[in-house]
Amino acid sequence: MPRASVIGVGMTPFGVHEATLPELFAEAAFPAFDDAGISAGEIDALYFGNAMGGQTENDTHLAPTLTSHVGLAGVPAQRFEDACATSSNAFKHAVEAVEAGLHDTVLVGGVERCTPETGLGTGAMTRIFASASHRQYEQPSGLTFPGVFALLTKRHMYEHGTTDEQLAHVAVKNHANGTLNPRAHFGRDVTTDDVLDSPTVADPFHLFDCCPFSDGAAAAIVTSADTGASFDGDGVAVTGIGHATDVVPLADKTHPSTTQAARDAAAEAYEQADTDGTVMDLAEVHDCFTGAEVMASEALGLVETGDGGPAAAEGRTSLEGEIPINPSGGLKAKGHPIGATGVAQIVELTEHLRGEANDRQVDDATKGVAHNLGGDAATTVVTVMEAGT
Amino acid sequence: MSETEEVERSSDDGDGDDRLTYREWAAALREGTLLGQECSKCGHVTAAPKAACAQCGDREISTTKLDTEGEVHSVTTIAVPPERFEGDYQVALVDLGAGRVLARIDGGRETVEIGDRVQFTNAMEADGHPAPVFEPTEG
Repeated sequence: MPRASVIGVGMTPFGVHEATLPELFAEAAFPAFDDAGISAGEIDALYFGNAMGGQTENDTHLAPTLTSHVGLAGVPAQRFEDACATSSNAFKHAVEAVEAGLHDTVLVGGVERCTPETGLGTGAMTRIFASASHRQYEQPSGLTFPGVFALLTKRHMYEHGTTDEQLAHVAVKNHANGTLNPRAHFGRDVTTDDVLDSPTVADPFHLFDCCPFSDGAAAAIVTSADTGASFDGDGVAVTGIGHATDVVPLADKTHPSTTQAARDAAAEAYEQADTDGTVMDLAEVHDCFTGAEVMASEALGLVETGDGGPAAAEGRTSLEGEIPINPSGGLKAKGHPIGATGVAQIVELTEHLRGEANDRQVDDATKGVAHNLGGDAATTVVTVMEAGT
Repeated sequence: MSETEEVERSSDDGDGDDRLTYREWAAALREGTLLGQECSKCGHVTAAPKAACAQCGDREISTTKLDTEGEVHSVTTIAVPPERFEGDYQVALVDLGAGRVLARIDGGRETVEIGDRVQFTNAMEADGHPAPVFEPTEG
């Protein structure tokens, strides 16, 4: 039983943008309106994600600013912040609102700028990202976000034998997919040698194991499952959304490399949709770092636990493989404007399930799963979508 | 692994109970003592004091002195540090028998690996907040 229907999507290219946050948001929202075939007057609310605008651009209380900018002034508008899982949480609440009958049709979206267009360099942005780790018990050690995922991945390598080369294959695959995505921040191939020879950021991660700082926006129009078919936009069903948290800080997680929140969120989403990871046709997962994709592929049940590295190296997760992971290029190649990433995953699933993903289309895709992770793997939102309303 | 021990300490923070505060934890750390909490219900030990047990939610949590020696659970060398830090340095999750702590490792890159024995030495300071520092155990 669908919980809601996505009837329109839009997103900017991810990369470097001079445009302001409201301007960028409009570049995603208007294509979503047009895709759905609706006007601003038919939208009842905004569910919006932006993680760090206060720190990066001295810009807060953005939800009503954006509604005013795109012609929705007056509607209830709310902003969500859950680190990198920011806009999937906005999406969850949008789905719940239309499912419960609070609103008929809503706009959900996210926007963020993370590149030097903000006026901030790598050190300053690394410090701002690190604000999502524990202020008292983690930040004083000099832990960074590459460092958080490095700690998880090093333990995964120790426990399962995952290798540097297998991690590099994740980057090679996602860069290859990115060459097929005109909206990707990186549109060029890399080799495993390119990855392994690039400078170390936090071992085992080299520069090419890490997603870039990106600017961008993504938007979707969500309506109830009952009314989805009455719009021009080709509807895609949302059949499950799971949302779980794990203990903060990292040291207190029972078994850090398990990424328990992802497993709990996946179990919840799959139960709602009466499905499981083995029958997904594609997945968009939160590959902020190559090791994060390996752990996500296992937590979602797309591959067996411990098999994420070999699966990537053997091509099982490539576009032509058994279970294509990150056909968009993922955060790694498509880019990662923090607050836009969750909804951008929904955009990608929607296009595949409509058969509109062009050169990177996963053939005959009918079921897809999105995995959006926030902070030190403490928040994860997992969404299952299926073709048709 | 040694037993954690009850620690006597003042409770002058004015909050009406004797729960370990961050201020007290930080002061002890600066003086060379690594404090934590133990849940009286489920026995969970944390090196990051909270208002309730992170595993079972119980509010009966007592202050304990943590082991000063442990084993590296995971470790990374940070080569691209945040503003106000100088790389390269190692950050590790250290298993203390009961409880696990995030710590800086004294020394540069690749000083320790997973499974190595390490011991608590002192505290470092960043932005007015202390972090525990460990070093490889001799022998």
